[in-house]
Amino acid sequence: MSDPAEDLEDLYETAPCGYVSISPDGRIVKANRTIADWLGRPADTLVGMRVHDLLGFGGRIAFETHLAPLLRMQGHVHEIALELLTADGEKVPAIANAAEKRAADGHHLFTRLTLFRAVDRRIYEQTLLEARAKAEAETKAHQEAALLREQFIAVLGHDLRNPLAALAAGVRLLGRKEKLSDRGLAILGEMNGSIGRASALVDDLLDLARGSLGGGFVVDRDADAPLTPALEQVVAEVRSITPERAIEASIRIDEPVYCDRGRIGQLASNLLANAITHGSPDRPISFVAATSGDLFTLSVANAGTPIPKDVMKRLFQPFFRGSVRRSRNGLGLGLYIASEIAKAHGGRLDVSSTEEETRFTFTMPRSKPVAPPSE
Amino acid sequence: MLFQERSASPSRSLPPQGFAAEVSLLGGPMLFSPDAVLRRHNVNISGSGERTILFAHGFGCDQTMWEPVARNFERDFRVVLFDYLGHGQSDATAYSAERYASLEAYAEDVIEIGRALDLRGAVFVGHSVSAMIGALASIRAPEMFSDLVMVGPSPRYIDDEGYRGGFSREQVDELLDFLAANHLGWSAAMAPAIMGNPDRPELGSRLENSFCRTDPAIARDFARATFLSDNRGDLAAVPARALVLQCSEDIIAPVAVGEYVHAALPRSEYRLLHATGHCPNLSAPEEVTAAIREFV
Repeated sequence: MSDPAEDLEDLYETAPCGYVSISPDGRIVKANRTIADWLGRPADTLVGMRVHDLLGFGGRIAFETHLAPLLRMQGHVHEIALELLTADGEKVPAIANAAEKRAADGHHLFTRLTLFRAVDRRIYEQTLLEARAKAEAETKAHQEAALLREQFIAVLGHDLRNPLAALAAGVRLLGRKEKLSDRGLAILGEMNGSIGRASALVDDLLDLARGSLGGGFVVDRDADAPLTPALEQVVAEVRSITPERAIEASIRIDEPVYCDRGRIGQLASNLLANAITHGSPDRPISFVAATSGDLFTLSVANAGTPIPKDVMKRLFQPFFRGSVRRSRNGLGLGLYIASEIAKAHGGRLDVSSTEEETRFTFTMPRSKPVAPPSE
Repeated sequence: MLFQERSASPSRSLPPQGFAAEVSLLGGPMLFSPDAVLRRHNVNISGSGERTILFAHGFGCDQTMWEPVARNFERDFRVVLFDYLGHGQSDATAYSAERYASLEAYAEDVIEIGRALDLRGAVFVGHSVSAMIGALASIRAPEMFSDLVMVGPSPRYIDDEGYRGGFSREQVDELLDFLAANHLGWSAAMAPAIMGNPDRPELGSRLENSFCRTDPAIARDFARATFLSDNRGDLAAVPARALVLQCSEDIIAPVAVGEYVHAALPRSEYRLLHATGHCPNLSAPEEVTAAIREFV
């Protein structure tokens, strides 16, 4: 075995980094073998070259406008990105540290450059830059989508609703003031139903636009008024629309519920509509709303074919329609909106489905959440 | 602030509130109070004298580049240093890419600073691209600067028919690409370096922010405005007497370009420096100081 002592000459020449020393006027006065190998130029041909000749054009300008002045001002500069030109004209990405060697009187003797190949690092940086550019583009796209969404909501809320309202008013006038044949009256009834359905669809779409596409449902909650009348009205409405279906309703709300009554009514209405659409027509639907301790619970159950497992997972997604005939169903937004209303109240909407019954259960905290101590 | 701490003379401090009223002596409208203008451009005033000498930095670094030269004028001049927006300690939030797409906007800022300081018959010393910015400013506000020192000037960097600027259009595009792709190495991530300078403790806080650290987007805009500029046609209209200081070996502003500027200016002197490179204010401050002194 040879003597393991380090040979400084050899360390300089074959160190795992490049060494280049340049004079104040930018000429190479010394270079090690490592950098010579990287550049494909014998070390002795490097001596006397201008350092600019080893740099790409951008690097030359950057050297003059950044690196050289910084070295004069600070004495040294670390972690500078450079591209070195090989003898074949290829570019080798490198990271450089540089320091001025100065005489005792501060006179600039020469500048030492230590160079590291930085191929992988440059790829990484490039990837980061691309990722940032992509993120910026996506943010811009999101902003544009948000603008489009605002317009969409405006169209739904105003431009679609207005003609529907005008149609509804016209149908009302025809029914009240005009003499119509039996056939005419029947057609008017159909028209009225269609207008009602179209209005409901617009409302659902508006909720979707405001909710999922926007920042989530906005609910206006308080515990000032009783919830019971709101729910009773929903049940009565559903009964009047579908008198052939039996709804066994039980509403026992003994304590105030901190909620948006309109929205909870909408949730109840959507669950009932779902039960009517999917439940067995000859079996009653159960509607139970009650407070119990700190919770308010509302559940709707119907008999019928159980919901398949794979369908269960997608029930609350928007535009999910299951296997029901198109004409009978809406847009598939009812359960989605119900679950969004549940979330907006800090609650949840669960479903269980067996041979006996399919039951949707909404649970929420009855009281206003305690505000966090800060603020 | 660098110069404020060094000098004890009262003239070095920024003007007090209410200085110079709303309307400048030059009659132009003042959109901002003088104080706001001086703060925004990190204007530092030192020294004392009848005349004011204003030093303007070029592309790359901030006003610190002028410090080795500027200090030599403090005993007989009021010395003004500043940073262009986005450079050094200026207020980068005041920057807008649309406004600073051409050198005219930079010249307007120089005039705004000059008005805030009530400059008349002052000396403008501009390095690199600032040489042309000073020329534009002196055309627009002839009373403000009577003398113009242009260090490494170039009215156009790209070669043209019958004109040799030293750069091809492809090279300038490569440079702009380089700045776009490489800002991690050149500006944003430029590590703060600590200089062994125990006799200059006030530099410590400045060093936390590298002198040549510029917002990458602003550096790119400034490079574009600089290297795509063509102000050859303006040189004949420069009213101030001028001194062209040309470095011996300068890849950014070659000797032929300096000679061109000298020939195109109505009243100019030309001095070829022994200094090499593009920053003689740093590599040969004594030679630059002597040349400016002789001129003014």
